[in-house]
Amino acid sequence: MIGILLARLKLFVRNPWTFLIFTGMSIFFAFIIGSSEMGGSSIYVPIHSENETIRDSIIGKELAKEEAYSFSWMSEKALKDKIESGKAELGIILHENTFEVLVGVDSPNKGLVQQTVQAAYTKKLQQEQLIDNISTRSDKDKIVEEFTNLRHSPVFKMKTSSFQNEDSFVYDNSLHSLFGFTLFFVIYTIAYNVLPILTEKQDGVWDRIILSPVKKWEMYVANLIYSFLTGYLQVVVIFLTFRFLMGVNFYGRFIESLLLLIPYVFSIVSLSILITAVVKKAQQFNAVLPIVSVSMAMIGGAYWPLEIVSSKVLLTLSKINPIKYGMEILNGATVYGYSFHELLFPISVLVLMGVIMMGIGIHLMESRHV
Amino acid sequence: MIELVDLTKKFKDAYAVKNLNMFIEKGEIVGLLGPNGAGKSTAISMLSSLLDPTGGDVRYDNKSIIKSPSAFRKVVGMVPQEIALYEDLTAEENLRFFGRIYQLRGKELNRKIDEVLEQIGLTDRRKEVVKKYSGGMKRRLNIGVALLHDPEVIIMDEPTVGIDPQSRNYILETVKRFNEERKMTVLYTSHYMEEVEFLCDRIYIMDKGNLIASGTKEEIKRILSSENTISIKAERFSTDFIESIKNHPSVNRITVGEKEILIIVPRAVNMFSEVIRIAEQFHIELSSVDNKAPTLEDVFLHLTGRALRD
Ligand SMILES: Nc1ncnc2c1ncn2[C@@H]1O[C@H](COP(=O)(O)OP(=O)(O)O)[C@@H](O)[C@H]1O
Ligand SMILES: [Mg+2]
Repeated sequence: MIGILLARLKLFVRNPWTFLIFTGMSIFFAFIIGSSEMGGSSIYVPIHSENETIRDSIIGKELAKEEAYSFSWMSEKALKDKIESGKAELGIILHENTFEVLVGVDSPNKGLVQQTVQAAYTKKLQQEQLIDNISTRSDKDKIVEEFTNLRHSPVFKMKTSSFQNEDSFVYDNSLHSLFGFTLFFVIYTIAYNVLPILTEKQDGVWDRIILSPVKKWEMYVANLIYSFLTGYLQVVVIFLTFRFLMGVNFYGRFIESLLLLIPYVFSIVSLSILITAVVKKAQQFNAVLPIVSVSMAMIGGAYWPLEIVSSKVLLTLSKINPIKYGMEILNGATVYGYSFHELLFPISVLVLMGVIMMGIGIHLMESRHV
Repeated sequence: MIELVDLTKKFKDAYAVKNLNMFIEKGEIVGLLGPNGAGKSTAISMLSSLLDPTGGDVRYDNKSIIKSPSAFRKVVGMVPQEIALYEDLTAEENLRFFGRIYQLRGKELNRKIDEVLEQIGLTDRRKEVVKKYSGGMKRRLNIGVALLHDPEVIIMDEPTVGIDPQSRNYILETVKRFNEERKMTVLYTSHYMEEVEFLCDRIYIMDKGNLIASGTKEEIKRILSSENTISIKAERFSTDFIESIKNHPSVNRITVGEKEILIIVPRAVNMFSEVIRIAEQFHIELSSVDNKAPTLEDVFLHLTGRALRD
C-alpha cells in the first residue's frame, strides 16, 4: 500500500499540471468574481423624504452608518427614475413614523433594506419613549448618552439581531465565490486522480497488482487516500492563499473552515468512484465529468446563492447535491457563525452520501470487472 | 502442470470461450493461436485467476486455481496485451514499483532490477521515462516487469503487437532463451502464425471461443495431409479468372490476394494443368504456380474458411 502511494506521489511530482491548473483556476475565478462585485459591494439605495428634518434626525444618522448600503438622498422624482431605469433595485421614502419601500427588482436585498430601515425607526421610537419619560431637560442629554452606551452592551445587541426576519439572508459575495469555486474546481482534481483506477484496470496494471501479494482493499485504500489528499491539499492551498496573501479573514474561523472541508472532499472522492464505476472508458468519463460538476455547481449554489433560486425542482435536486451541503457548512461556519452542533446536519449528510456512493461505486466496479 | 477443464466464459448471451480443454506441461512453450476476438485474452484471464469463469475449472498441480488462486499467483508472471506500465515513470522506477509490490526490498530489489534490465536490453535507457520509449522498448519492459519475481510460468498475451521486426525477433529470442536457460514454462498467445511456429512445442488454435485444433506443429499440419495448397502468382488477375477458379469443383478453399491466389485442393487432383488451362482461357499471364508446404495459416483457412489475419 505504501508502495502504491509512493508511486502516485512520484507521478504527481512528475506531472503536477492538472493539480496546479485547477488550483490556479479556483484562485483566479474566486478572486476576479469575488472582488469585481466587492468594489460596489455597498448596495446603492436612493432615499427621499418630504420631511427635511428626518435626514438630520437619528434615522438619517443610523442609515448613514450602514456599510452594506449607501443611501443616497434625492427628490422623489429622481428616486422613481432610478428605479424605473434599473439603476437601483429599490428605493425608500421616509415619513415621520413609517416608511415605504419601492421595489423595482425583487431581490433578497428588499428584506434586508427593509429590516435596516425598520431598525432605525425602532431606535428612534425607543429613544423618544425614554426621553418622554424624563421631565427635566438637563437630564435629557445624559440619558441619550447612557442610552447610546447601553446600545453597545451585548445584551442589547442580541435583541437587535432578533429583528432579522426569516426571509432575509446575509450574503458575503467574496467569500461565497471563494467557497463556490473552491468546491467546484476541486471536483476535477479529485476525479482525475480517481480515474487511473479505470485506466489501470484497462491497461492491465491493476491485474498485475492483483496477481501480486498486495491485497485488493489496499489498492482501493491507497488510491482513495491519494485522491483525498490531493483534493484536500488543493483546497488548503486555495484557502491559505486567500487568508494570507489576500487577507480574507473567514470571520475568524479559518482553521474551522479548513477542517469542515473534510466531509465535502470525502464525498467528492466517493462521487468520483461512482462515476468511474459507471462509465466504460476514459473518454466517457471526460464527457460526463463536466456535465456532472457544472450542473452540480449550478444546482448546489456554488455560482450564486441558493436563496435566490425559487424553482421547486432545482431546490429538490439540490438536496442530493454535495456542493449544497459543502456551501452550507462553509457559509454557516463563517458568515453565519453557526456552532458545530448546528453544522452537524450537513456534515452528516455529506458523510452519509460519501459512504453510500463509495459503497455502490466499489461494488459496481468489482462486479463489472472490466 | 496446468490444466484447463471445459473452461467457459459467457458475456451476456455470447460465449467468449466455450468448453476449452488444454494442458501445459512443465518446461513447455505452448502457443495459443487465433484471430482477434477468438477468446485468447479471456481464456488467459481465467487461467491466471483474474476472471471468474462461467463454467469449468483451471487446475495447477491438481488444485483448483479458481477456488484458491494464491499458490498459482506466486509462480505466475503475466504479460498483459496492453502496455501495463506507468508512462511517466522511468524503466527503473517501474521495475522498482512492481518489485516492491512483490515485496522485494533493498539490495535484492536492486540486483533484480539490474538483472531484468540486462535481460530485456534496456540497461542503457533505464533512466528514461517510458513515454519516450519506442513501441518495441515498451513491449520489452512490459515483459521485464513480469520477470521480477522469478516466475516459473510466464503467460504472454500478444507480446509483439504493433512493433518493428527487430524488436519482435529480440522478444522471440528472449522468450526462447528463458525457456531453455531457466526452464521457464511459457504460454504464448498470438495471432501471428510464424511466431507460434518458431517458438512453440505444442499449439492450440482457437476461433470464436472454440478450440479448433491442437497438437504439435507436425500433428496440426497433418490435418492437411489429404490436401495441397497451391500458390498462383500473376501481375494481375481478372474477376472472371478468379470466379472460374473459385467455382472449380476441386477447389475447397480460396484466398485471393492482389498478386497471389492460394487454393486448397485434394491431393489426388492434378490442379496444375487445370490452373494453366483456365489462365489461358481468360488470357492471364501467370508468373508461377507452386505447390506450397502447408502452414498453420493454411490449417486455419482449411478449418474456418477464413484467413487468420483479416
Ligand atoms: N468484458 C467483456 N464483456 C463482453 N464481451 C467481452 C468482454 N471481454 C471480451 N469480450 C468478447 O469476447 C470475445 C473474445 O475476446 P478476447 O478474449 O479479447 O479475444 P482475443 O484476445 O482472442 O482477441 C470478443 O468477441 C469480445 O468482444
Ligand atoms: Mg486479446
